[in-house]
Amino acid sequence: MDSVRSWLRRRIDSVRSEQRLRTDGGTASDAVQSETGTGLRRYLDSDAVESAPFWLPAFLLVGLFVYGAIVWNVVISLTDYEGLGDPEYGSFDLENYRLMLQETGSYSFTNAFVNTIVLLVAFTLVCLVFGLVVAILVDRDIRFENTFRTIYLLPMSLSFVVTAKMWLWMYSSNGGFVNRALGVVGIGPVNFIRNPDPNVQLAAIVFALVWQFSGYAMVVYLAGLRAIPDEHFEAARVDGASLVKMYWRVVIPQLRTATVSASVVLMVFGLKAFDFLRALYGNDTPAVGTDILPTYMVRVAFGDASRIAYGSAVAVVLFALAFSIVLPYLYSEYRRGAL
Amino acid sequence: MTDTKLADDGLSLNRIGLYAVLLGLVVFYLLPLEAGIVTSFKSIRAYGQTAPFLPAVDGFTLAQWSSAVDQLSGSLFNSVLMAVPATVFSALFGSMAAYGLTNIDWRGQVGIYVLFVAGIFVPYQAVLVPLKRFWSQWVPLHIWLEPVWYLTGLGTDYAGLLALTITHIAYGIPICTLLFRSYYKSVSDEMVEAARLDGASIRRIYRRIILPLSIPMFAVTLIYQFTQIWNDLLFALIIVGPGDASVITQSLIGIGQSESVTNFPLQMAAAFVTALPTLLVYIFFGEQFAKGVTA
Amino acid sequence: MAELELDGLTKVFVEDDGNEIVAVDDIDVTVADGEFLVLVGPSGCGKSTTLRMIAGLESITAGELRLGGRRINERKPAERNTAMVFQSYALYPHMTVKQNMSFGLEESTDMPAAEIAETVIEAAEMMGIGDLLDRKPGELSGGQQQRVALGRAIVRDPEVFLMDEPLSNLDAKLRSKMRTELQRLQDDLGVTTIYVTHDQTEAMTMGDRIAVLDDGMLQQVGTPLECYHEPANRFVADFIGEPSMNFFEVEVQGDRLLADDFAYPLSNETLSTVGDRTELTLGIRPEDIELRTEATGPHDFETVVDVVEPTGDENNLYLTFDPDASEPDTFIATTGGMNRIEAGQPLVAHVPEDAIHLFDPDTGRAVKNRSLDDAETLGRAV
Repeated sequence: MDSVRSWLRRRIDSVRSEQRLRTDGGTASDAVQSETGTGLRRYLDSDAVESAPFWLPAFLLVGLFVYGAIVWNVVISLTDYEGLGDPEYGSFDLENYRLMLQETGSYSFTNAFVNTIVLLVAFTLVCLVFGLVVAILVDRDIRFENTFRTIYLLPMSLSFVVTAKMWLWMYSSNGGFVNRALGVVGIGPVNFIRNPDPNVQLAAIVFALVWQFSGYAMVVYLAGLRAIPDEHFEAARVDGASLVKMYWRVVIPQLRTATVSASVVLMVFGLKAFDFLRALYGNDTPAVGTDILPTYMVRVAFGDASRIAYGSAVAVVLFALAFSIVLPYLYSEYRRGAL
Repeated sequence: MTDTKLADDGLSLNRIGLYAVLLGLVVFYLLPLEAGIVTSFKSIRAYGQTAPFLPAVDGFTLAQWSSAVDQLSGSLFNSVLMAVPATVFSALFGSMAAYGLTNIDWRGQVGIYVLFVAGIFVPYQAVLVPLKRFWSQWVPLHIWLEPVWYLTGLGTDYAGLLALTITHIAYGIPICTLLFRSYYKSVSDEMVEAARLDGASIRRIYRRIILPLSIPMFAVTLIYQFTQIWNDLLFALIIVGPGDASVITQSLIGIGQSESVTNFPLQMAAAFVTALPTLLVYIFFGEQFAKGVTA
Repeated sequence: MAELELDGLTKVFVEDDGNEIVAVDDIDVTVADGEFLVLVGPSGCGKSTTLRMIAGLESITAGELRLGGRRINERKPAERNTAMVFQSYALYPHMTVKQNMSFGLEESTDMPAAEIAETVIEAAEMMGIGDLLDRKPGELSGGQQQRVALGRAIVRDPEVFLMDEPLSNLDAKLRSKMRTELQRLQDDLGVTTIYVTHDQTEAMTMGDRIAVLDDGMLQQVGTPLECYHEPANRFVADFIGEPSMNFFEVEVQGDRLLADDFAYPLSNETLSTVGDRTELTLGIRPEDIELRTEATGPHDFETVVDVVEPTGDENNLYLTFDPDASEPDTFIATTGGMNRIEAGQPLVAHVPEDAIHLFDPDTGRAVKNRSLDDAETLGRAV
């Protein structure tokens, strides 16, 4: 303890004298501060302001490019701008929205809207069911689990443009794998992506998208399964529940959160299928059964017709569609404190 | 866990069936890739005569690959030039925003954060028209930075590439912020407070405590974000358009597509050239990618 | 002089829905230079919030905080000359022990690097962690991390140490060892220390004085023995001491206190302190109950042992007046561990009048505390 004392004495001698200088020097400013320590000074010192340099630049970028653009898009959708000069911001009307509903025929807005809904629902549902089944299989304490999981998720890391090229080849009626396989059982060749039946076209697209994204649903469900305490499995077994019953009654109900978040994300991926269709069909006009709002919007706004304001209006509908799914989700996440 | 979840162990019929199904799934997920790879090494003559998933015994050729690399090298360079800075900056902005909105406690931060998160879900179509006008009329980089394009010898087309980079940074920030925030929420509040008591300013705490601790999360975010930006087509189509500065996804579309015939071997080779960076990233950092997608 | 004054310190939290919660209510304490003050109370009593206000981690809603006579309410945490030891230690996991200990000096002083290194090494030697300087916190045991956290605070050479339940993450053995070590360290350094704990044993053994908090309000400040022998109110009497004091609700009838199961005669001296109250709470510490085999006096009561809890050196006896009830009301008495006592056995409990406490049942305030000839000397002797 002697060494402690002497050490301290030395330190106190050296540091305290220094400190006294510092604190004494600070007296004047302390006094000033306590007198002028009013609202503004407090405000500038507050954490919200001090943290601003960190989030504000990012916020401005997002505000300008995302939210600013969304609002601007809504404004343009109320004009009749067609790409020459500047939009006329003087006269707003809902003409474009009226036109949308009036359109009929094979490449109409209505066709694209219905296709979008069907694609989103079918794609999401199949992905979820398939992903859940695969997740349950992978969760059965298998060997090489990581390898299996990595392989199943692999297609998701690829660009839509790349996978579109691969499926173009898979579906090709000129030696592609699918038609070769069907040929063995005496069917075909079938032209999938330009089949006369629009439903076949869409089903072919959904199948390819499921191939690419069911691995994602699997990973989300696997995480959900891992979060269920082992005791629940044990309790169900002690109760004598069969395997199927255990999953149906005990496990699946606990995967609600995983299902909801996976659905939302899958729908967002589904809306990005523009890239896939654009690459699959090689130009801005996909087969009529696969024309969805994203492709429709780009075609009318940036194609030869250049109906820019009309395209903006379609984009507003698409945005509203996406956020009618996302906002309830975000609200529920907020409610359960997950944000 | 093993005992409770498994009805039986060892190599019972159930187990064999399970592994058979799992292997079947491997075939399902890898077949399109496998068919693509073997086809990319076939000559045009050979591919029509062999099974799509078997290598050609004669008719093996590297010609498709060299042709694909030839045709794509320019846009491969453009993609790297765009994707690398876009990835790094969106991750950095995301990390800083998440820090400002998580580890420093102030009222109203959740509201700001919700705006960030909602940005993840915006369909690109909803902003295409304004973006196009913004970069062509309001901020015409090809005019403003004319000396740069002239001096570097890149040409004014590259203004579009710069615009694309900035756009990707802005659109990458929301997801990066989400990834970092979920991580920063797990950082101990007491530790941040200890650093404040130690006299570190908010800036210094980020620099000396949070940033070094974020390295694993940067790996996750950079990998995920690089994949997303590299793979995108739509923004590039609208903002860059055709020309010298087009990125690799744009170029891939047109390759091997002539009026009447489709050159599948060349298309497959080109598809793999395009996918190679993301495939390599995935093979080496699959774990981080999985973390990124599930966050 | 590093005398720390808490003058009417108050903290009000405003919830999102506009509700106001008073976490700390008008606390007055003066901590003398070099004193070791323990803030003790049940969880949620406001003790941590008080500490955090002193540290500058929470803003002060009302009242004044003075260090060495100077108001420091508005000073930033780093400018208050305090150092804090956290419950979780809050070490920086990516830094070595040396870097952890240097961090504060690097950030808050312009001390040259060589001097920082020297100071850190000396402080580490002093804490007995000199050979751990190049390790990272993840490679250290709980006790070692605790020492690093203390070392990090010492290096700053603060005027006040603030400790927030620093020992609660250690196992029982190590905790009592560190308790002693901390006390000795504080003694050697002579730095004013405020120590927060929910553990009354820590409070009793470590503090020069203890401040008992409940529901945001200060209940009593005093030496450990003052709080033990002369609790200001029923809460303090209940909180301090293990096992807790026994309480009986009684009525005053003439010169006797009437409880459900017994009557307790009072001397005139005691009666005069009771005044004209008709209802009281009678308190007696388990260790003050003397056990006898035969009832001889008016303060002897026949009881039956319900449960025996041996702790080794002592037995905690749960006694009841009502052995036939299925869940009898019990009170506790302690007796030496060598006595063989079994459940069901009858025993006489002697409750000496000079050891009883009386509380006002409405306000909880002490009406009469045990009389000890040397209570005052006891209180000062610590």
